[in-house]
Amino acid sequence: MGWLNAFKLRLNTLGIVLIPVCIAIDWVGHAIATSLKLPLFLDSIGTILGGILAGPWVGGLAGFITNLISSGTVDPIAAPYSIVSLLLGFAAGIAAYLGWARSPRGWIYLWILCFLVASIGSTPFNIALYSGQSGLPLGDAIYAGLVKAHWPTWIAAYIDEAAGDLPDKLVTAAVALLIYNGLPRRYRALFRLYTPAEDTTEADRQPARA
Amino acid sequence: MPRGLSIYAEGTSALHRAHPFTKGAITLVSVALAFIVPSLPWVLGLAAILLALLAWARVLARFVPIAVGILLPITLLLLIVQGFANPANRTVLIALGPFSLYVEGMRVGLLAAARIFDLVSATFLFSFTTRPADFAESLMQHGLSPRFGYIIQSALQIIPQSLEQADRIREAQQARGLETTGPLLRRARAYIPLLLPLVLSSLVATQERAMALEVRGFGLPVHRYSRIVLPDSGAQRLLRWALAALVPIAIAARFLGWR
Amino acid sequence: MTPALLMEGVRFRYPETTPYVLDGIDLTVARGEWLGVVGPTNAGKSTLCYAAMGLATEFFNGALTGRITVLGTDIRKEKVIERSRRVGMLFQNPFTQISGARERVDEEVAFGPENHGLAPELVAERVKESLERVGLSGVAERHPLDLSGGQLQRLALASLLAMHPQMLLLDEPTSQLDPVGTRDLFGVLNHLHQGGVTIVMVEQKLDAVAELCDRVVAMAAGRVIGIGQPEAVFNDIAVQDSAGAPSYTRLARTVGVKPPWPVTFDAAVRALHA
Repeated sequence: MGWLNAFKLRLNTLGIVLIPVCIAIDWVGHAIATSLKLPLFLDSIGTILGGILAGPWVGGLAGFITNLISSGTVDPIAAPYSIVSLLLGFAAGIAAYLGWARSPRGWIYLWILCFLVASIGSTPFNIALYSGQSGLPLGDAIYAGLVKAHWPTWIAAYIDEAAGDLPDKLVTAAVALLIYNGLPRRYRALFRLYTPAEDTTEADRQPARA
Repeated sequence: MPRGLSIYAEGTSALHRAHPFTKGAITLVSVALAFIVPSLPWVLGLAAILLALLAWARVLARFVPIAVGILLPITLLLLIVQGFANPANRTVLIALGPFSLYVEGMRVGLLAAARIFDLVSATFLFSFTTRPADFAESLMQHGLSPRFGYIIQSALQIIPQSLEQADRIREAQQARGLETTGPLLRRARAYIPLLLPLVLSSLVATQERAMALEVRGFGLPVHRYSRIVLPDSGAQRLLRWALAALVPIAIAARFLGWR
Repeated sequence: MTPALLMEGVRFRYPETTPYVLDGIDLTVARGEWLGVVGPTNAGKSTLCYAAMGLATEFFNGALTGRITVLGTDIRKEKVIERSRRVGMLFQNPFTQISGARERVDEEVAFGPENHGLAPELVAERVKESLERVGLSGVAERHPLDLSGGQLQRLALASLLAMHPQMLLLDEPTSQLDPVGTRDLFGVLNHLHQGGVTIVMVEQKLDAVAELCDRVVAMAAGRVIGIGQPEAVFNDIAVQDSAGAPSYTRLARTVGVKPPWPVTFDAAVRALHA
C-alpha cells in the first residue's frame, strides 16, 4: 500500500503547471552549462528536481516531454531516449518518496540511482541505434579500446555510456538537491504532490508567527 | 519576444496541408523501417525517398545545413570507432599501423550512420511541415486530455522565455562581479548562481499561474469543441494504415530470412 | 435576493501554521455592490479573497471554520473550477495570470470560455465583447507578452469577463501598474459596476477606494475593525491608524478642518472652501 501511494497518479493543476517549468529548467540547465563551457550535459536538472519536488509523475512526464520537444526542434536523435528520461524522472520521484532528498546518505543513493537508470537505460538504445557507441568522443574512445581488447560489445557499450553518465548525473543530482534543500520550506510543502513514506509534516512545520 | 521553439516553416505543399497524424505516420514508419531493413541499399533507398519528400515540401534547402551539423560528427565517430575496433574487422582500408581502419567495421559504421540519417530526416520532415499547435490539437481531438495538451503548448512558450530570462540573469550577475570565464572550477562555481534565480522565480510563478488557471475553469470535465480545423480524408487514413502495415511485414520478412 | 457573498463567523488558517489569518469575520456583500477592502499588510485581506474564491481551502488546503456562501452556494459544495462560471478573481501580478499556452490576445481571452465548453461561435462573440469592454480590441492579434503590464492586467480582466461572472474578486489589481494603467483599469471596473457586477476589491490606493466603492471594510490582524460607507470608515481614528486614510482626509485633518473629514476630492474642495 505504501509503495502504491507514490505510484498513484496525482496530477492536479499545480502539477500540470509545474511540468513545463521543469522542462524549461532542463533546457536552461543545459544552456548554462554550454555557455560556461562545462564538459557536461546537465540537461536533466529540471527532470530530477521535478521528481524530488513533486513525485514520479511530474518528474517522469517532464523528462519524457523534454526529449520529445528537443527531438522535434534541435536534436532528433534524442527521441528514442525519451523513455530513459521518463524513467529518470520517475526514479527521482520514488527516491523523494523514500525520503532520500533529506539526508546526506540519501543524496548518495539518489546519485547512484540516477546514474544507474541513465546508464542502464541508455545502453540498449546505444546498442540498437548506434552500434553500441554513446556518441561522446571520450566514451567512444574507451569503447574502441575495450572492444579492440576483445571485451564483449555490450559491456564495452555500458562502460562507454557510464563514463559520461557518472560525472554528469553526479553534478545533476547535486545541483537538483542543493536547489531543493535551498528552497523555502513552504515551497517544498506546497509542491509535494505525493504522500511520502514517512511523515514529513514535523520537519516542515512553520514556526508560529509572534 | 521569442516566438516559440518551433522550427515550422510556412508552406503550402501537400505535406504541409496533410493531417498531422499522416505526417506522424510517415515519420514513425520511416524510422522503424530504417532500423528493420537489413542492409545499406535499403536504408539509402529510404533516405532517397525522405529527401524527395523534403524537396516536395520545399524544405530541403533548410534541412541540409542543420542535417550536416548534426550528422557529420556522429558519422565520423561511427566510421572511425567501428572501423578501428569492430570485432569483424579483417581487411585493412586505411593503414595506420595499430590504428588502422578496416573495411568491415567501416561498413558497419556506415550502415549505422545511414540509419541515423533516416531518423534525422524523417523527424525534420515532420517538424518543418507541422505546426506544434496543430499537432497538439490533433492529439486533443482524438482523446488527449486538454490538460496534457496544455503542458505541451505551455512548454513551447516557456522554454524560449526562460532562456531569455537566463540571459538577463547572467548579465545581472556578471554586473555584480560573477566570474564566468577562466579555469574550470571558477566557471563551475558560477553555475548555481546563474540557475537558482530562475528556478525560484519560476516556482513562485507556478503557484500563481495554477491559481489563475483554476479561476478560468481549467480542467472542467466538459465537451471541448475543436479550436482548429484539421482537414483529414479517407485517402489519408488509408495511407496511414498502409504505412503502419509495412512495419510488421518488414519484421516478418527479416525473420523469414530477408537479407 | 441572496447576498453575493456571506461570511459567518469565518476563521481560517493556512496548513501547518498556528495563527488565524482570518479571525472571526462576519461580512455581507450585496449584489451589485462595490466593496473596498483596506488594511495594513498581513491583515488577511488577500486571504479574504482567496477564501471567497475557494482557493484558501481547495488550493492551499487551509483549515476553515464558519460558513462562506458565494452567490447562494456554500463554499464547500463547489470546486473552484466550477465556481469560475460565476465568480472571477484577478490577482496582483499581470504576468503570471496569462495561461502561457496561447500566442494571441484573442486566443488567450478564449481560454476561459473554451474551458467552460462554450461553442466556438459563442466564444468568438464573448472574446470580441470582452476585448471591447477593456479597450484591447486593437491588439487582438498580438502576442500577449508584447503587451505592457497595464495592458496585461486588462487582458486578465477580459479573460475573466468572457465568462460573464456575476462577481469579481480583485486582489490589489493595480499594485504593479503605472498611473495610466491604474486609471484605465479603474475605468473599466467602474463601467462593470454600473452594469451590475458585484466587486470585492482589496486595494492600497485609498483615494480610489473612497472615490469608487459603495462601502469599505477595514481589516487588521484577521478581524474587521470598521465597515460602512467610505466617509464613516475613513473618519474612524482606529482605521486611520492601521490602514491609513485617503490623502484628502489626511490633508483636511492636518490643515485643521473639523471632523467629519472629507474622503474624496470633491468633498475636500468643498470642505476647504468652507
